Amino acid sequence: MKLSGILHDKKSEILSLWIERTLDSYSSSGFFKKSRDHIANPTGANIKDGLTGVLDLLLARAAIEEYAPALDQVIRIRAVQDFSPSRAVVIFPELKWVIRQVLGQDILETGADELAALDCEIDRITLAAFDIYTECREQLYRIRIHELKSGRAVLTDSPCSSRMLRQDRGVPENIN
Amino acid sequence: MPVFPWKKSCPQKLKKSKSARTIRRKDITMAVVSVDKLAKSVVQGPSLMTGSVPTKDWMDIPAVFKPGNFCYPAKKEKVEYMNSQPGLSFPNAREWWPEDDDWKLPENWKEIILNGLRERLDKFRSLKIFMDCCVRCGACADKCHFFLGTGDPKNMPVLRAELLRSVYRNDFTLAGKLLGKMAGAREMTIGVLKEWFMYSYQCTECRRCSVFCPYGIDTAEVTMMLRELLHLVGVGINWILEPASNSNRTGNHMGLQPHTFKDNAEFLVDDIENLTGVRVEPTFNRKGAEILFITPSADVFAEPGLYTAMGYLILFHHIGLDYTWSTYASEGGNFGLFTNNETMKKLNAKMYAEAKRLGVKYIIGGECGHMWRVLHQYMDTMNGPADFLEVPKSPITGTVFDNARSTRMIHISEFTADLIHHNKLNLDKSRNDHVVATWHDSCNTSRAMGLLEEPRYILDHVVNKWYEMPENCIREKTFCCGSGTGLNTDEIMEIRMRGGLPRANAVKYVHEKHGVNTLGCVCAIDRATLTSLMNYWVPEVSVCGLSELVGNAIVLEGENRQELDEGLRTLV
Repeated sequence: MKLSGILHDKKSEILSLWIERTLDSYSSSGFFKKSRDHIANPTGANIKDGLTGVLDLLLARAAIEEYAPALDQVIRIRAVQDFSPSRAVVIFPELKWVIRQVLGQDILETGADELAALDCEIDRITLAAFDIYTECREQLYRIRIHELKSGRAVLTDSPCSSRMLRQDRGVPENIN
Repeated sequence: MPVFPWKKSCPQKLKKSKSARTIRRKDITMAVVSVDKLAKSVVQGPSLMTGSVPTKDWMDIPAVFKPGNFCYPAKKEKVEYMNSQPGLSFPNAREWWPEDDDWKLPENWKEIILNGLRERLDKFRSLKIFMDCCVRCGACADKCHFFLGTGDPKNMPVLRAELLRSVYRNDFTLAGKLLGKMAGAREMTIGVLKEWFMYSYQCTECRRCSVFCPYGIDTAEVTMMLRELLHLVGVGINWILEPASNSNRTGNHMGLQPHTFKDNAEFLVDDIENLTGVRVEPTFNRKGAEILFITPSADVFAEPGLYTAMGYLILFHHIGLDYTWSTYASEGGNFGLFTNNETMKKLNAKMYAEAKRLGVKYIIGGECGHMWRVLHQYMDTMNGPADFLEVPKSPITGTVFDNARSTRMIHISEFTADLIHHNKLNLDKSRNDHVVATWHDSCNTSRAMGLLEEPRYILDHVVNKWYEMPENCIREKTFCCGSGTGLNTDEIMEIRMRGGLPRANAVKYVHEKHGVNTLGCVCAIDRATLTSLMNYWVPEVSVCGLSELVGNAIVLEGENRQELDEGLRTLV
């Protein structure tokens, strides 16, 4: 049987294990997994939706640029959570392992080139996710700068952002 | 025949070489075995590449500080200044840094903390009850925006309170003394103190959790106690203490001196004249005015609050109100609420001292959040009743605001809604047709003073199109902006973004469903921080104060209004 057929057959199992493992990266994931309410459970619901979208696109052989909204739905959240960059995006390469886990012995029925091609596509998804992660982080810093420029820094008497950056780097105050 | 399009992007060698295929099959066979093991461990525990999924008990996971997850400590000179003020105590002024092992605490820090807790258990009956009556039902657990944005169990309100409760049990209950950890007790250590600092500054005291608590535990007050106790040993943050000291010194968070405050307000007067052709004429520190108007200083200083302040000025001019601004009581906000009781009392008292000095009849308060919590929940026992003032009565409609019989201070939205109800405003809703709004109930005005209907009534009359967010995130169940209680500082931007996720997510929902482009609110911290929050999550949505929309819609007598496609924000 072709890999595509197997993946379609096992889609729901793959998705459920993938979501489960992704949500396991949160210290207390019970509610994130359980609640289907998009408003009450934004992290869990958006990650479920986003991963579902990514898998649908993968099975539909979508072009890589079509992934952006689904990837954004997941990565925009993980980019501001307490994850290192690698931990934020690792959920995508882990899809390879999820697929192998679910397919079990069935994977032997598929061609190596088919599997390599799948892995390759997942790598591309991962890289696209990393691009989005980076965009999110840059946006975060732009927002910080905007707050400083908008005058709210006057709330405390920090004179300018460059001085604060020097302080962040540990440069002594008397060096100008 | 290609099965997958991604075949095209794979190395040709793999596709064509039989030996390569054979090798790959072998690898895969081997991989399946190892993956099986690894995946099993992932499903049950640690993730393959991402490190471990925490399996330790929450008590055993230490707080680790790193850039981005803590607010900068209060500056030494600010602590010294606050400590020098009569009636205030802010000991142990020093340079220190949360990432350092040594926080330079006093030698007897533990004794100070435990004595401080004992004193507060005696003084605040509510604290004692909150410590004793939680049954850990978990109703609050998934209601906190910080928990929903992080998945960190210590952000569950029940566990955040448990950080203090465990110490309370250890030193103040028989069960804890006898059974120790079995009774959920633990000793006060430096590690616990650091945990207090981390999590009491990952709580915005928004009180959404308390809405769902069957016992009515006000977890915000537990956070307040944690922060008070930390201040006893000199642990506090600059973003709170500096505005508090500015407010104490000059009367507002920004530290604006009287002439600057007046100049800024007059810039707004010029802007209004440019936009509408009408010159409004506010007065400052005018003795004998009927009403004193107090609003957050950010309204006369920073966008988008400026437009809200223009709205106030237009409204008051429109109805010919006899009112005055004060350049001394020039701050609605009260960062004492985020610090300790004594500071809160002192800053609140300044507003009333100024009302007395100017001889006004009562006070109207602008669009501020926590000012109203201080006013409705604490003012009366701290500084009230304000019986030297009169019970607020609208000079335009004659309505008596009995709800403010003791505090003698009413909210601008109560006042405006009453004006609209009596048909005293000349409004043209179409002037807000560039707006498709939704309404954010600010935590303090909704949960701490019950201001739920008035803003909606006003919106109905000044905007043609506005839509509610879903029921479980509005009114008293509203989600916090994620940056309240002095957490609106930029060094913790990612904490703010994840804390604000639930709010932003609901805004995104109405943006996608109804094309909402404006998020209205009545809180200065909201106006500033929701702007950043929207920039990250829903950049198509801008943030405004309610009075800005009122100001947009008012038809002024003698106006020569230009085409204002964006209302008061239009650049002319």
